[in-house]
Amino acid sequence: MSRVLLPLVVAVMLLPVGVMAVVASAPEGGGAEFSLFANIAEMFAGGGFPVYFGNSLILSFGIGLLDVLFAGASGYALARLRFRGRKALFALVVVTLALSPTVVMVPVYVIVHQLGWIDTYQGMIVPSMISAFGVFLVRQFALGLPEELLLAARVDGAGEFRIFATIAVPLLRPALLTLFLLQFLTQWDNLLWPLLVANDPALWPLPVGISQLQTEIGYDIRLMTTAALVTAVPPIVVMFFLQRYYVAGLTLGGVKK
Amino acid sequence: MTAVQLRLGRTATLSGQGQRRAEGRAGGLLALPAAIYFGVFWLLPFLSAAYLSFTRYDLAGMPEWTGLDNYRKMVEDPGFWNSAQVTAAYTAGSVIPSIVLALAIAVPLSKPGRLNGVLRGLMMIPAVMPLVATSVVWRIIYADGGPANAVLGLAGLAPVSWLTDDGIALWALVIMVTWKHLGLFVIILTAGLQGLPPSVYEAAALDGAGPVRAFFSITVPLLRRTLLFVLVIAVVGSMQAFIPAFLLTGGGPAGATEVLPYYMWSNAFAFERMGYASAMAMVLLALLVVLSLVQFRFLRGGGDE
Repeated sequence: MSRVLLPLVVAVMLLPVGVMAVVASAPEGGGAEFSLFANIAEMFAGGGFPVYFGNSLILSFGIGLLDVLFAGASGYALARLRFRGRKALFALVVVTLALSPTVVMVPVYVIVHQLGWIDTYQGMIVPSMISAFGVFLVRQFALGLPEELLLAARVDGAGEFRIFATIAVPLLRPALLTLFLLQFLTQWDNLLWPLLVANDPALWPLPVGISQLQTEIGYDIRLMTTAALVTAVPPIVVMFFLQRYYVAGLTLGGVKK
Repeated sequence: MTAVQLRLGRTATLSGQGQRRAEGRAGGLLALPAAIYFGVFWLLPFLSAAYLSFTRYDLAGMPEWTGLDNYRKMVEDPGFWNSAQVTAAYTAGSVIPSIVLALAIAVPLSKPGRLNGVLRGLMMIPAVMPLVATSVVWRIIYADGGPANAVLGLAGLAPVSWLTDDGIALWALVIMVTWKHLGLFVIILTAGLQGLPPSVYEAAALDGAGPVRAFFSITVPLLRRTLLFVLVIAVVGSMQAFIPAFLLTGGGPAGATEVLPYYMWSNAFAFERMGYASAMAMVLLALLVVLSLVQFRFLRGGGDE
């Protein structure tokens, strides 16, 4: 029975996605021909969308890469190197994991305001640039690296930075890739923080642009839905090709191996 | 000196002073950016929020110490209690049905097979769709002449104003977020189910237990760790979620969808009551910490063994 029922359930669940595809493919002024690509071209031809799209790429790639760099470095250090303040930093990361952006949003805004970072890229990027989750993920992964490899490099006289860059980083690749994907997608969907920091439409990423246009009276539903579809495509593609990494990252610690 | 001696000499220093110093320097430098970042953008804001919650502050002047005034005000503020109630209804309304549905779907979907693999991937589409895109679609679905009312029509019911009727708007949001989160919960539960030992089911079948009996006396108890994990991420997520309300209803009509984080946001950024908003953030944090402790306790004691 489940051979029929399950596909049916999934089909019902995908109906809203179908609604999106249908509206985004409708031609201007009504009609039946398939106009998705014309609509995408129209969306990118003018108005704010090309700018929003570019800003979304800047924020998602920027924060994704910064997180990989810094969470990677500190996660490895926490797992494999003895340094002063290691326990304190780990405690700080654990406390941060328990806090949420909603709880610290007001004071972070005050800090960004006082730094004069309202309406700047750094104001949108820096406050989100390292994830406690990422540090934790890399640390857990780095704890499992074979000690012999690091030891052999030390015996051969390699410095600690070289060992990190040439031996640890290649071995940490699965964790770093998972982290990049999750952070990229989180930022791709990030509405609140850019909405607070960026008043200037030239700095808006897609979520802010779409949400602001949505509240205008008489907005163009067809183009808006096309924009929604374009926004939804990257995460869906990533999820399909890298589902294993994606789910492993999301369920980290929740499901026993 | 021969090469062998040189190697030994270096090995000897690995656990000695030189190695310790090298590790200390490298580790400190690699960890420094993260230490500064977490200090400035998490620890300091957390302490500031605690401090600001005892002050009146509008971003312009200096925070003015007012003691427990903000907390007293909160107790007497009908807006706060309304938002607490809305949040409770929103959380219960979205968490319970989505976990029950997710479990009902995950049990058959966790069985191996190509088709099930594809279906699991498809189920994740709503979960990974950006919220803004989701809200654009559901605005169309909830429009007066839209698909939601068409479904009601098929069932012989009169159309409703999904997003502007104060008895319905919250449930419209609940339906949307249940739809959105279902796939993720299914995937997590599926992973948990696939980790259960088949031998227990074989033994139960030999003892004559039917599938329903096996589900309640084997699957649910064995899966409790995973179920608890899903429950906590669902509750923690719902308690903080206000983008759906922000995008679809603007907290309205008449506060019917004004969840607590949204009320906090309005106080902070629409009315510049930073102190009062911080006090609400502290209350929210206390609730979240209690939930994390509950999760921690359950995950530590008695696992899926």
